[in-house]
Amino acid sequence: MKLQHSLFTRRQFLNSLFGGWVAALAATFLYPIVKFIFPPYREPDKVILPFSEFKDMEARAIKSFAWGAKPGYVKKKADGRYTAFVAICTHLDCTVAYLADQKKFYCACHDGWYDEEGRNLSGPPPRPLRQLQVNVEGENLIIKKEGVS
Amino acid sequence: MNKKKLWISLGGWFEERLGFQAVVDFLRKKKVPQNKHTIWTYTGSAVLLFFVIQVVTGIMLAFYYKPTLEEANKSVARIMTEIPLGWVIRSIHFWSSSFMIAVVFVHLLSIWVIKSYRKPRELTWMTGVFLLILTLAFGFTGYLLPWDDLSLSATKVGTDIPRSIPIIGVWLTKFLRGGEDVTGDTLTRFFSFHVCLLPLGLLFIIGIHVYLIQKLGMSLPLGADVEKERAKELPFWPNFVYREMIVWLIFLGILVSVAVFFPPSLGKVADLMAPAPEGIKPEWYFLFLFQTLKIFPAKILFMSGDTLAVFLILVEGILFFFLPLFDNKPAELKGRVITALAYLFIIYAVVMTVWSLIQ
Repeated sequence: MKLQHSLFTRRQFLNSLFGGWVAALAATFLYPIVKFIFPPYREPDKVILPFSEFKDMEARAIKSFAWGAKPGYVKKKADGRYTAFVAICTHLDCTVAYLADQKKFYCACHDGWYDEEGRNLSGPPPRPLRQLQVNVEGENLIIKKEGVS
Repeated sequence: MNKKKLWISLGGWFEERLGFQAVVDFLRKKKVPQNKHTIWTYTGSAVLLFFVIQVVTGIMLAFYYKPTLEEANKSVARIMTEIPLGWVIRSIHFWSSSFMIAVVFVHLLSIWVIKSYRKPRELTWMTGVFLLILTLAFGFTGYLLPWDDLSLSATKVGTDIPRSIPIIGVWLTKFLRGGEDVTGDTLTRFFSFHVCLLPLGLLFIIGIHVYLIQKLGMSLPLGADVEKERAKELPFWPNFVYREMIVWLIFLGILVSVAVFFPPSLGKVADLMAPAPEGIKPEWYFLFLFQTLKIFPAKILFMSGDTLAVFLILVEGILFFFLPLFDNKPAELKGRVITALAYLFIIYAVVMTVWSLIQ
């Protein structure tokens, strides 16, 4: 039945009402499923480590630490200051190794190379290793995301 | 009532309710064409054989396997060393997966070359492509479960690749990993994929695939004389089934021999913080893709090499899915070019795989 001047019939109206109801019902089931399958992710803003563990490092040596669920490397620079990297290859997420004799980071997955400053040298890596900020505060070595004060 | 009568009346009771006689009649009357291409029809049932072996050995392994960070590697070690015949069961599961994928490739390439997918069998091909994807997904998820250093790195790389896909890429990587990184959540998730989601999906699509094959029958060679072919047909039961059983026995013999003499190793337990080990390689069936990714430079023109590689692989995958629709004039030049592409693909995959192996 279609009323005069109406844009749609009663059947169309009821069908779209019903369709909308089914869609809303589907959404109420889908929403919790989609929410559930993604666990919350927390990248740490900072990691606090005892400085005593890093005090006696030789210059240009590295030491590993845990940056949340990711591996990281603390590196003592030639001038005695510290820097840190997330030890994840920027190509496809493998963990890089530090080759102390060559002073280079190396990713065995696809033959990626970085210099000791984390800059990508050769192979597939598209970007330098992600760098973190390191501050020594009293007894603690504090590693922060770049740009976090 | 004597025994025979009892069976007949019992059979009648069920038949009245189930009505399976139609299926039995169909299988009795079913015929299989006999021609130069018949040999390739055995590859389909060989895939089914390996799938059944995977289901049985997989259920057995799940009795002892524990999908957690602490226990995964240990429980596989226990299956290999303590459980009676555990090493054989895991070895058969390991080798049968490789055999299954190898036969899937042969099945698919043979259909490509003899063009069985031409009208009206386009949907059979398309469901087949889904089955290929699911089979590879089985291989990929199963590879992580022993949780050793090689499988961890391979999974990191494999789950990072979708990240290059525009819009859904990042989401897809997170979905596969259960978060930003490969962690214990990835392991349980892959276990759930491997033993729940993928088997359900595979069974469902196999159902459609096999139904379509029954409904449409086997294809005949291009330009074959239908009348002559019909005269040569072989009854499905028992002639063809017996021949299939011979093929199964041969494959089973090879499988068990290989499984007994070359059981898979188990690497040291994966350490989420340790650098990737030297010489990581995925399973052989991903090597040609792995090598393709490796030879792409970091940057090509304005985009990163990976993005371009993933984009190309995706486009090829989509073209591959719709192949029967493109190959609509099989007897003409276009059809011959598409057949040549199949051979070209084989050469490419073999060269890339060998190149990756000798590095």
